[in-house]
Formats: sequence, structure tokens, C-alpha cells
Amino acid sequence: MAKMLLVDMDKCTGCKQCSLACSLTKEGLFDPNRGRIKILKKEVIALGIPLLCEQCDTYPCVDACPEGALTRDETTGIITVNAETCTECGTCVDVCTYHGIRLHPETGKAMICDLCGGDPYCVQHCVPGALEWVDKTDDTVNKKRKLRSARMAVYRKLKKEAA
Amino acid sequence: MYGHQGKILHVDLSKNKIWTQDLPEEWRKLYVGSRGINARILWDYCKDPEITWDDPRNILVYAPGAVTGTTAPASGRTSVTTVGCTTGLYLKSNTGGHWGAELKFAGYDHLVVHGVADKPSYIFIEDDQVEILDAKDLWGKDMIQTDALLKKWHGEDSRGLYIGPAGENLVRGASIQCSLYHAAGRGGGAAVMAKKNLKAISVKGSKPVRVKDAKRFAKIAKEMRDLLKADSGAVSLHQFGSSGSIAAVNELHAFPGRNWQTGYTENVYPISGQCLVEKGYLKRRVACFACTIGCHRYSTIDSGPNAGIASGGPEYETFGALGNGPGVIDTEGVIMANEFCNRLGMDTITAGGVAQWAIESYERGVLTKDDTDGLELGWGKIPELLKTIEAMALRKGKLGNLLADGLKIATKKVGQDSYKWAIINAKGLEQSNVETRSAKAYALAFAVNPRGNDHLMTETFAEFGASPEAVALVEKVTGDKKWAAPHFTEHRAEIVRWHEDCYEITEALGFCVFTSTAAYGVNPDNMARLYDAATGISMTEDEMMFTGRRVVTLEKAFNITRGATREHDNLPWRLMNEGAASGPLKGAMNSQEELDGMLDLYYAQHEWDLKTSWPYRNTYEKLGLKDVADYLDKIDRLP
Repeated sequence: MAKMLLVDMDKCTGCKQCSLACSLTKEGLFDPNRGRIKILKKEVIALGIPLLCEQCDTYPCVDACPEGALTRDETTGIITVNAETCTECGTCVDVCTYHGIRLHPETGKAMICDLCGGDPYCVQHCVPGALEWVDKTDDTVNKKRKLRSARMAVYRKLKKEAA
Repeated sequence: MYGHQGKILHVDLSKNKIWTQDLPEEWRKLYVGSRGINARILWDYCKDPEITWDDPRNILVYAPGAVTGTTAPASGRTSVTTVGCTTGLYLKSNTGGHWGAELKFAGYDHLVVHGVADKPSYIFIEDDQVEILDAKDLWGKDMIQTDALLKKWHGEDSRGLYIGPAGENLVRGASIQCSLYHAAGRGGGAAVMAKKNLKAISVKGSKPVRVKDAKRFAKIAKEMRDLLKADSGAVSLHQFGSSGSIAAVNELHAFPGRNWQTGYTENVYPISGQCLVEKGYLKRRVACFACTIGCHRYSTIDSGPNAGIASGGPEYETFGALGNGPGVIDTEGVIMANEFCNRLGMDTITAGGVAQWAIESYERGVLTKDDTDGLELGWGKIPELLKTIEAMALRKGKLGNLLADGLKIATKKVGQDSYKWAIINAKGLEQSNVETRSAKAYALAFAVNPRGNDHLMTETFAEFGASPEAVALVEKVTGDKKWAAPHFTEHRAEIVRWHEDCYEITEALGFCVFTSTAAYGVNPDNMARLYDAATGISMTEDEMMFTGRRVVTLEKAFNITRGATREHDNLPWRLMNEGAASGPLKGAMNSQEELDGMLDLYYAQHEWDLKTSWPYRNTYEKLGLKDVADYLDKIDRLP
């Protein structure tokens, strides 16, 4: 059965193990800024919001890229970045509905979660269970949507307060 | 460099000078990191006993651990080391939160602050850019305001460490806080910062941490993570926080109440981690950097007259010191007192300890209404408790000025028999909420603790034998599992010694001590292997523990320069002279005779002189601390 990543913000303790694990598996070092998953922290309310590519159905990033550097796998929804053609312009970052894309702190290229090709390394590091690799069923897809809406509502509220 | 970043950052506030120093390779082998290297730096700069806590030559050393910044579970903690103001002796205080990891990502293993700024200042660090900035807009601000301003100026992703109004007022029980609700709380480090005119340190870092053998490192980190995941202690810490154990401690009649006059409280539920969860006060379970347990709490009051109160905690110690201690068996009462302490920058253990002493003094007529500025102190009185905290933190009125200096000074001012119910030992720190009369390894560990009588230089929870892992550990250390019971005085010396060494290396690497001495996922064996994978510095388990022994001895030596002797290794008068009020160990005491028996064994085992408690020259030399012995010889402090 197809699998997908379920993200439950209420279980996130904000520890950043996921970002560290991501930087380790992708680049062999530890740096939360190089995680394809980011924990946006609001320390005063002890909040951590996990942000990453959701393999969404609308993928505005692909359409918006002026260089056509992003391609999407029809089956998995995974977005691949062509580092040769990516010009580090950041358009994809701006259009992403779920604030899941960042530019690499050194190369400037877009960093997008690829679910480690089907066995996300971050998940085994998330002991509180905020990240779960689950079977894709109608139920879990619904749950994912609900959790994501709640997460995005909090994200928008924070950004609004900051502005 | 692997594991470490390889740099020590120095900031001299007097000379407005900033420089970096390469981390000496030798120190990585001898002292490992964080607490260990901090102790060496403090020794090198401040061993001269004329350097008191408020001397401009006193330094503050801040350091994340040798493996902080990685996926090693719960490895994000930070040690702060200085000449402490509460005791005038060696002070290491350790904090969670996310600030220390950020310092590491900025490229530094240690930050050393020297001198005194000529006006309120703060330090801003963004990788190689380091500045001493004007803090006039921060001075006087509480934690919430201070953190908000720093984030406004330096970005939401900057991490702050700071002192509050209590620290600015040189209150002995003021805490250094970071990530708002985490604290290097004990011992008055905040007053040292204030004396230096240093309000805050804001950090932003972007330099990755690298390890020598990433594959092997990840494998050992996973082993630790899996052990913690399976550990019942760690699971409970996540579920109910440190205060999840209160009901069990109370059942042992070991939960100090009313200034250590009781050990058992009829209905303790309102001041427990279970209550926070079940009554809806707990909003989030929170983790320090890279912690897979997540024992920290974020609690709020959403309705009723106290609605709107929100803060980190309360922890076990806070439910003890500001709840059971002053007789406040009231969830919201403790949440409010805790929030108030966090906001003003007070250590909840000391704030509560001092308040309990004041209440008992008032009850006994030793403090009068005139001394308390009209406050009618008493057990379980929440508004009076909050006013007492406020008076202390802001040095308000007669009461505030008396209490702000802590019990060591207050008992001298008040005189009479008031020292008899001041729960401090000869060093002068207010005791953390452990009933040492019925837990003898704790009693010994508290007595010999170089910073005063608490559980945060070593923790001997294993003596309770509360889990198979704890029993196995006691068997390993003493040779027989039957010693895994807290009422024995036999073999406590071995138990304390093992935990001292283990606790030290745990902190040197940056791990939370819960992982190795409250839960059992991190241990000397896997720490030695992990350190090797991280740095390429290969040590056996015993060699790793030996670095811990070296540091513990260096910390002891530091106190000896300040004149500490065997007489400083004692326990509070009440615990040595009054029996426990109830329970299986009713009447039990930490009598001088009992303590002396344990101390003799402890010193003998450490190869320290029984009369003075000082290590012999030979003891130092075996640990590679010849220079320390030479200095002590010069000032006539060798036995």
C-alpha cells in the first residue's frame, strides 16, 4: 500500500531532531538550517510548527518556477529540484501554500523534502510521534488534511501577529 | 574540527575587547567539554581566592556540550560556570532550552565573559560577528519583554539568554534564563551577570556541526534513543513531566512539606504532573534542543479569576518549593507563583526555600509584622506568597531586603535560632526538595556537593531501586543488588562516587542528566563510544569516567582555594537534628554521626584526607592535575 507522512503539530515538542536528521542523511552533517523539514518556533508560547513539502495536489511551485527546474512525480507527488537549472530566485519558496520550501544556506538552491525516496529518515527520530509514516487510506488522507489546516491556521495567526 | 567547533570566544566587557582562542586539543582529551572545560577555564582565570563573585576578575563561562548540535538524544544542554554569589564558591549551573545549541552553531564551544561593562550592555553574536551593545532599553525589563525585544531586533530565530529584574537587583536566588522558561537557576549566576552589567546574550548561528564517523555516530545515537524510548522513567517524564513522580515520592513520605516539617501530604494530587494533564492546564509538552523525551511543560490557566496566566513548568521542584513547601496545595497557586518567578527571573527552589523559612519564622514570632511590612505570612496563603516573591525579587521594603540575600545572610541578620529551620548547609544554598533523612546516598551527595546541597551536581536516584535498570546499576557499583534501598548507609560512598563521575561526563557531552541518572538510556559505555565516533578521540568506558573524576576533583580544589573544609560538607540543622515526621522512616535523621561515617568512607575512597577533606598531592597527580596541587601547595592547602 502507498504510504504518506502524517504531521501532527500537537505532538511536536520543538526539539528539531527531524531537521538535524535530515541534514545528516542529505549532507552528512548537522545543521537545522539544511533540513528539508523545518520547525518554526515561537518560544514564548513554547510552540513548534513543522513545515515541509506536503506533496500537494496543486503544486504551485512547479508552475511558478521561471526556469522549469522543478518536476513532479505523478505517482508519489514528490518534487525534484534540478540543481543545474535552479537559479536560487526563491519564487517557489514564496508561492508554496504550506511554507515547505527553503533555500540552501550555502548553495542557495531550493530544498524540498523527497520523503527519502519512501522511508523518511526524520520519522524514526521523532519519538513523540508528531511525524508518522502511515498507510495512505481515505481516513489518513482526511486526517492529514485536517491536521494541516489546523497547522496552517496557527502559522497564519503567528505571521499576522508578527506583522 | 569534529564534535567540537574548535573555538572559545572571549568577550572582555571592561576593555571592550573580543577575541577567539583555539580549543586546546589536550582539553578535549582531559576534560571533554562543557562543564569539564568550563571548570578548567574557571580554575585558570579565577583560582586566586581574592577573586570573589563580585570582583571584576570573576568570569562567566557558558558552554554547550561536546556533542550538542547533533541527533544524540537530549544533548542540547548548556553549563554556566562562575564564582557563585550564593555560596562564594564554585558554581556550575546547567540549563536546557535552545540557546546553547545556537551558540555552537555560531561556531563556539565556550563563551568566556570577562570584566565589567561601564553601562548596562548585552552581547550579540551572529557567527563571526560579535558585538557588545547598549542594553538601556532592556534593563528593568522582565523575561517576556526582554526576549520579545531581542527577537524584534535580531529576528524571531535568534535565541536569547538573559537575567530579569531579580538578577539586576543582585538577588541571590535570581536565575539566568534562556528560551524564556529554561534556567541555569541555582547559585546566583544571574547576580554575577548583573554585577558585570550584562543583561543578555543573543545568538544566531549558521555553522554546521560535523562528526568524524557519521554512520557510527548515528548508530550509537539510535541505540541511545531506543533505550530511552523503552525506559519507563523517560516515558513518564514525557507524559507527566518531572512532577509526574510526586505522588510516588509522597507515598514514600519523602515529599518535603511546610519547610521539611512533613514528608507526607494528604491530597497531593493538585500539585502533580497528572493534575496538569487531566485538568487541562497542560498546553504542550516541550523539548529542549534535540531532546527526544520532552519533559518540559507549557501550562496555562484559561478560565476563572486567574485566566491568562501562562508559562513554562511547573517542574517537580517548583511544586515542591512553591507548593508543598509553603503549604500551597493548589494547582493555580503554584502555576501563578511559578509564572511570577519565571517572569522576574527567580530560581523557584531558592524563592520557595526562602519563603518557607520566612513563614516559619513568622509563625514562631521571630519575624514580626513590622519585619514583613504588614504581611501576615502563613502556610497555604497564596497572595502572601506572591507578595513575598515580589518583595524578594525587587528588594522591596524590609522583608524584600532581608530575603533577597538568601538564607545564609538572612539567618545571620535575624539571629536567634532561625538557622535551625533554614534548610541550607554550611555552604549556604537553599536545599532542593529531596528528603535526605530517608535517602542516605542523596544525603551524602548533597553534603559533598561543591555548590551546596542539591541534586544537580550528582543525582543518586538509583539507590531507590525503582526499576530493574536502577537495581542493576547499584549491583554493578556495589557488588550486590540488596544495597538498592535508600535507608542503607553502607556502600553509599561508592554509589555517590559513580554518579558523580557519570553525571559529570553526561554534562560534559551536553546530555541531560535525566538520560543517565533518572532514566537509563545514556551510560558511560555508550557515551565513550559516541565521543569516539564524534571526535576520533578514543576512550574506554573507564577512561571516560576518569575524565569525570578529574573534573569533580578540580571543582573540589576550587572550593579548597576558598577555604572549604570538611565542615562545609554537612546538611541543614533540621535534617541533622529533627526526625522525619512520618512514614516507614519516621524519626530518621541525618545525624552528624551517621554523616561522619559515610563521609569517612567517601573521602577514603576518593583518596582525600579525612580531617580536612582535601585531596592529597598524589591524588591530584594521578589525575594529571599536578599544576593544581602545586598551586594549592603554594597557598598551604594540601593536607
